[in-house]
Amino acid sequence: MNDLHAVLWIARKDLLQEARSKAVTVATVFFSAVTLGVLAFAFGENPLLMREGAMGALWVALAFAGVISAAQSWQADLEDGALEALLAWPVPRAAVYLGKLLANWGLMTALGFVLLPLAGGLYGAAIGGNGETAPALVVAVLLGTIAAGTLGFALIAVFYAGLTANLRARESLLPVLMFPVVVPILLAAVRASNALVGSGDLDLAWAWLRLLVGFDLVYAVVCLVLFRFVVEA
Amino acid sequence: MTAAPAGAGAPVGAGAPVGSGAAVPAGAPAAIELRGLVHGYGGPPVLAGIDLDVAVGRVVALHGPNGAGKTTLLRLLATRLRPVRGHARVLGHDVVRQAHEVRTRVATLPVYGGAYGALSGRENLRLGVALRGGDDDPGAVDRALERVGLIAAADHLVRAYSSGMRKRLALARLTLADAPVWLLDEPYAALDEQGQELVDALIAAARDDGRTVLVASHDLPRSLATADAVVEIAGGHLRVLARPTRAPTATATATAGTGAGADA
Amino acid sequence: MTDAAARLRRPLWLRIYLGITLLLFLAAAAFGLVFSPRDVTQGDLIRIMYAHVSVAWIAFVAVGLTAVFGALYLWRGKRRDDVLAVASGEMGLFFASLTIIGGMTYSRPTLNTFWTWDAKLTLTAIMVALMVGYFIVRGLIDDPVRRGRVSAVVAIVAAASLPFNYLAAEWFRTLHPAKSVALDGSGVTMDATMLAVLLFNTVVAGLVYLGFMIDRVRLGRVEAALEEERSLAATRPAPVGKEVVRV
Repeated sequence: MNDLHAVLWIARKDLLQEARSKAVTVATVFFSAVTLGVLAFAFGENPLLMREGAMGALWVALAFAGVISAAQSWQADLEDGALEALLAWPVPRAAVYLGKLLANWGLMTALGFVLLPLAGGLYGAAIGGNGETAPALVVAVLLGTIAAGTLGFALIAVFYAGLTANLRARESLLPVLMFPVVVPILLAAVRASNALVGSGDLDLAWAWLRLLVGFDLVYAVVCLVLFRFVVEA
Repeated sequence: MTAAPAGAGAPVGAGAPVGSGAAVPAGAPAAIELRGLVHGYGGPPVLAGIDLDVAVGRVVALHGPNGAGKTTLLRLLATRLRPVRGHARVLGHDVVRQAHEVRTRVATLPVYGGAYGALSGRENLRLGVALRGGDDDPGAVDRALERVGLIAAADHLVRAYSSGMRKRLALARLTLADAPVWLLDEPYAALDEQGQELVDALIAAARDDGRTVLVASHDLPRSLATADAVVEIAGGHLRVLARPTRAPTATATATAGTGAGADA
Repeated sequence: MTDAAARLRRPLWLRIYLGITLLLFLAAAAFGLVFSPRDVTQGDLIRIMYAHVSVAWIAFVAVGLTAVFGALYLWRGKRRDDVLAVASGEMGLFFASLTIIGGMTYSRPTLNTFWTWDAKLTLTAIMVALMVGYFIVRGLIDDPVRRGRVSAVVAIVAAASLPFNYLAAEWFRTLHPAKSVALDGSGVTMDATMLAVLLFNTVVAGLVYLGFMIDRVRLGRVEAALEEERSLAATRPAPVGKEVVRV
């Protein structure tokens, strides 16, 4: 219970910092909005292409936002040696990771919920109904997909941002390390979202969601076990 | 995860007799034990085989030129670096294999404040207490802030603190940790005269409480006044510069004013 | 340093092993190029497949073993496990790069394009990216212990993504996970001679991997010894059995 306590304190610290500096919020919201806009230009005026590309654009924006968010959250820890001091305390290293993961995941999920209607509006994509599934259910599964997908991004981004935090060239290194690992998340999330937005195909979306959840579970274990080697001397 | 000075070693409660080598029973682990400690890579080692025993309850000043390895030694003891060769133990616990046990027994004062700029002084202290597993006691936090003279600035963000105020905040966190071993890295740096006296008073109080204190410093006169021994680290090796106020077998007398608790 | 030079000389048994491997490699090439029958649909292009597929399999094994040796290093902390991990990592990067070249050679005449988002080719490209990340991280850390531990973590995280990357790439092509079919022809029966040639090529590729590994590990050990020697050189003058400073 004490360890859970530590997790919540770390998450609380990160969220409190964010509430005051707005560094992550400002950077990620504007960055993802710009990404959505730029990709819309890239698709040209083709409404069909726009509709089909809506979810792809959404997830690309979320993936980049995840990198920025994770890197920024460790940046605050590095200032004035605050993390160095914290790691000298008897805090389980997994608790540090979990706390930062919770904060990052929360921010990214919130961002995803904001971007979803924005992407839908910009790209002219609407929740498709096939007459059988209720739109409310489709939306619920879509939000679940966003939560599962951003969790996958956050798991890897927070882990690798912590790893690169003490290395030279960390800004460029983080995406190089992270993106090859999260390709499955990107593919599965885009396909699941497209299935839901396009045709409300719950079966198809569920098949991809299983991959997402499997990824999340495996990496939750892997990252929790390995994190102590990332921050340990 | 108790922050109390638990487990191995001599009793370290308030008012326990300290300052006497004979008072520590034979076989009890030293507060700090270094054997053949080597650290550094890609060049000459910073620490080239250090052998040191610090008895429980002793205040030891660590001197040496910049880059001699004082901070490296303190970080090794705080489990934030691992020895290349040799070993380091704190109250009998190995800093590599029993890092968690060591962390529960050690409190550090980093050169730089080591606090989060986006949190207030009070929030930083509460975070520190919570993560050390202590009870969330606002009264204790307030008393610590009061003692270091930060109570008026307690709710300001640390970002707006001067470097001296950050140091004071770190001192408050140190006292809240209630750890049997203190590692202080240049505690006097950035502090005004009043602040430096506060450090001396805290060290004296720590001695009364039976804590072991290792102080990296450049202020030889202060070290001679506060420490039981002054050691110098240079060229990767360690030697004793002075055993000023308290010889290993003598009890505290020189600074009876601050050590009254121990003498009573 | 002459000591190191002497240690780097390959012993006789290793030279014999490498010589035999070279001969077997030529034999495998000859089997593929000469003795294998032409494929019904692909004609002579099937001859590329032998080298390509065998190299691809070994690339996977090499990357997987990098993670395994990395995990062993984290567990036991023995320097030799790290040396093995690096060696296998380099082989993994090398074989994966060869696989991509082979795949491009293969797909140009068959699919009229150098690059196709075929699941296995995509996976190999991702594998190359993962291993490049592994070596970038290694290059950024000076402390050998920390370098070994952090890169081991990277190797494990990278290897754990391979099954997910494979599934995702495979399903992505077929649009629907449930309807996924094997497109690699595993359902097709293979001519016995072809299968034998492929297996022989794979065994030889494995022997090449092993030979390179042995040689690279020998080099890695000398590297490690030199690194250690250099970092400890200055501690030598430390008086032996000097007294412990007691305070």
